[in-house]
Order: sequence, then structure tokens, then C-alpha cells
Amino acid sequence: MTDQIREQMSALLDGELPRDQVGLLVRRMSRDAELKRTFGNYVLAGESLRAPGGVMASPGFAARVSAAIDEGEVAGSAVPTVPARSPARWRRPLAATAVAASAALAAVLLVRPDGGEPQLFAERSGAPESPLVVTLPVGGSSPTPGQNQRLAGYLVVHGQYATPISRRAVWSNALATDPGVARVTYENAEAP
Amino acid sequence: MRRGLAAAALALAALAAPQAHAGAQTAGEWLQRMSDSLATLNYDGLFTHTAGQQSETMRIVHRVDGGRSMERLVSLDGSGREIVRTAEEVHFYMPDRRVVLVEPRTDDGSLLRALPAPGPKLDELYTLEVRKGSKLLGRDVKVLDIRPRDAYRYGYRLWLDEETAMPLRSEVVNGEGKAVEAMHFTRLEVRDRITPRELEPAVDATGYQWVRAGKRGEPRAANAYWRPRKVPPGFRLVATRLQIVPGVPVPVQHLIFSDGFASVSVFIEPGTAKGPAPPESTSVGSSNAFSTQVRGHVVTAIGEVPAATVRDLATSVAPVEEMAAPAKPSTEPTDR
Repeated sequence: MTDQIREQMSALLDGELPRDQVGLLVRRMSRDAELKRTFGNYVLAGESLRAPGGVMASPGFAARVSAAIDEGEVAGSAVPTVPARSPARWRRPLAATAVAASAALAAVLLVRPDGGEPQLFAERSGAPESPLVVTLPVGGSSPTPGQNQRLAGYLVVHGQYATPISRRAVWSNALATDPGVARVTYENAEAP
Repeated sequence: MRRGLAAAALALAALAAPQAHAGAQTAGEWLQRMSDSLATLNYDGLFTHTAGQQSETMRIVHRVDGGRSMERLVSLDGSGREIVRTAEEVHFYMPDRRVVLVEPRTDDGSLLRALPAPGPKLDELYTLEVRKGSKLLGRDVKVLDIRPRDAYRYGYRLWLDEETAMPLRSEVVNGEGKAVEAMHFTRLEVRDRITPRELEPAVDATGYQWVRAGKRGEPRAANAYWRPRKVPPGFRLVATRLQIVPGVPVPVQHLIFSDGFASVSVFIEPGTAKGPAPPESTSVGSSNAFSTQVRGHVVTAIGEVPAATVRDLATSVAPVEEMAAPAKPSTEPTDR
């Protein structure tokens, strides 16, 4: 995977990829499993950073996304038109984004992390035509017991320095049966 | 266990007001009253804790003895996990892992006094409003809205019992005013006295692994001062210390940031990450964490703030190589 591809994927997520490159990139990702996985990681990572409260993917979320891929989701004429919103706005409350694009039509399939019905949005920029729809799996890995214990330790320690009302929230989160942790790993090892 | 708030039966056993305060008027006064009540009253209650699609029933028992507050927080659903804060230690019982994490209690030193209390400074970061609310648990309540002025922090919506100022319901809200986490009491008793026995854990920890903080000052601690190059607006570094974290084999540098209401801890652990390579983002309710690797250390920021705030702090810290690393509280401002 080249840096150029990474930059294109990042630009796509930021809504900054030139329209004439979107379709090309999406088609390339649709043929390359590694690219799809990486893009899925980027999507979920981005959501975790952007979404208020972060993302909590329910068990089986990745499987549902994969199933959607297997079913070969095609928007076609069923794509509803919604008021134009920026791609970032589309992504904000949801955990996975599937991109459908052509030169004239970009559609975004949003798969709800809580198991709800997927939503399909479209932004029309010209004459309607059947879009290519590609669903992208979400990557990431489950935390190990040791990592969970480390996180629990951090929560316990941090709770001691929070205000009383916040401490109760922090410690309640540490007590949760299924913390609903969504752990996301970037491909790049070092932060800026 | 998933459980909707609507399914929770509201039942008020008793709600005495043994220490009713003078009537508060302003939002700031209500906030102070609430903080005082949480720290000084004896109470026993059940509440639902909801984050995302997940809801759990918790029990909290809070006891004050000789000015020291102790408490027990128990998950009544599934895991049976408990946190017991004694006069000396914090015990985190994890029966699902047969582990008890033990952390020395650290709330009575200069460190805590360095934390800013709610005050005028908050007005620069939050708007505070108080209004009359509908009854909760049969009690008259005031609703306290604490709204952030920017995206670096969450807001809070608090339903305070008018007589005791105890929060009967609380929500952590994002910039759009939507709750990302909620706690809702279904029963709350404020009592004259809570017995020590009521703080004892229900868990039989016989045979569990007790993970305690090791000897302080072990050699593999992060060997330099770490400081942020930049902090999010309104936050400041209020304390630094060398921290023993249960479950973490080596001492870590611990930097504590606060805006007066929200706080963020940054832990700097020497060595490379085990498991998935950071950077990574983790979310548990309103608590967000971000880990990254910096100069051979794993840096983890965690706090009840938006994900972008912990990310900014985690990626901002760097070692100050030429300085030694005595672990002492610090109140100096950061270079923001």
C-alpha cells in the first residue's frame, strides 16, 4: 500500500478527495481486501475521534458489515436523496461508512453499530446514474484481558482525581459488565 | 445486561434531609451544594447507569466518618464487580477475572488541593443555568445545566433534590445537547448513619489474585519529566506524580489536567506496547482514552471528555530529557 493511497483514503474520509478520483479509489478498494480493511480501520478510528462519546460497536458489528458486503448492496434507484450535507456530517453519529461513488453521484451507506437498520444517504451532483456501492469492513482488534486490566487500572486511578460526580461515572464505566469497548488500531505505529 | 431506563421502577424508600443547606440561588451555588452533599452525606441508593445502548443497575453506599468519605459502588447486573473506597485504599473487585486491583487512596494530600474547585473560572468555559424541574422520586428538583462553550469538554445536566442537593439524575451531554451517558437513581436513602459493614464487598475474594501497587521508585520508571507542548483551551496541568497503577508492572508518570470540572489523566509508561500497536482510541461511556507511542513510551490519556481532547493531550506530551524525575506535585501552568 502506497502513501498515495493512504492519503487518498484520508482525503476521502475528510471529504476532500477530488470527485474524479473518488470512483477510481472506491473501485480499487472494492478489489483489494487489504485496502478495504485498512479503510475500515480508518473509518472507525475517525469515528472514535470525532463522535461525541466515541464509538461503541456492538458484538457482531463487523460481521454485519461483512454480511452487507456479501449481499452486494447496490443502491440504484432506491437511493434516497437527502439534503446536502458534508461527508463529515454524515459520518458523525455512526461507526462505519460504506462509500458508493461515481462521477456524478456519491452515496454513503451508514451501518449502525448498535444493530439498527443501515441507512443510505446520497448526494447528487449531476445527472443521476446507478452508483457503484462498496461496503467496507471495519477492522480493529479485541483488547486482551491484560489490556482490559490495564485500562481498568487507569480508570480506577483517574477516578480518584475526578470530581465526585465524574468519579461515579468513571468508576461505573469500569464496573460495566460489557464495557462495550471499541478498540481501534491505526496502521501507522507512531503518532505525529 | 441491557435494560432501558423506562423499565426501571421508581421507588423512593426514604429521603431525609439531615444536613439541609442554606438555600442556594445561583447555578454556581447549586453546584457547590451538590459537591458538598456528595462528599458529606451518608447515603445508600440504586441507580441505572446508561451509556450508548447499554444500561446497568448499580448500587452506591456512601459513608462519612470523621470527615473521611468512604464508598462502595457495585454492579448488580452480571459481573458483580465492585469498587470499595476505604479510608486507605481503593479496591476494585473483578469476580469475572478473579482479580482485585488495589490502589492507595490519594485524596488527602496537596495534590487534591491543587485541583480547582467550581468557581468563576468555570464561567469562561461553561454556561451554568438553573431552573425548576419536574418531580423526580416524588421530590422537588432543580435542573442544573452546565453547557460547554467549546468542543473540548462535555456538558452536564443535573437534577438536584431541592432539599439535599443530591443529584437524583445526571447526564453527560455532548455539544449537541445529546446525552452520552446517564445515571438515574431509582431509590435513594439519605441516612444519619451508614455502618462499616455496609461497605463490605459481597464478593468472596478468596483465591483471587490481588494486584497491588509495587514498591515506589522502582528503577524502570519513566526517567524524565514529561510535559505537554500544548493543552486544549481551558485545561491546565494541575499535578504530576509518579504513579503505581494496579495491573501495570512499572511505575508510570501521571499528569493530571483539569478545567475545573472535567479532568484528564495522562499516563506515561516506559516500554513498547503489548498487543495492538498504538495509536488507538478507546471509549467506555463518557470516558475516552487515547494511547500512542512516544520515544519508547506508551502514552495514554483518559478522561471524561470528548475523544479529540484526550487525543490532543496524548499526542502533545514529550519528555524533558535533561531534568531528573522527582515525583512531586506541581501546580505550574503549562505552556498553552
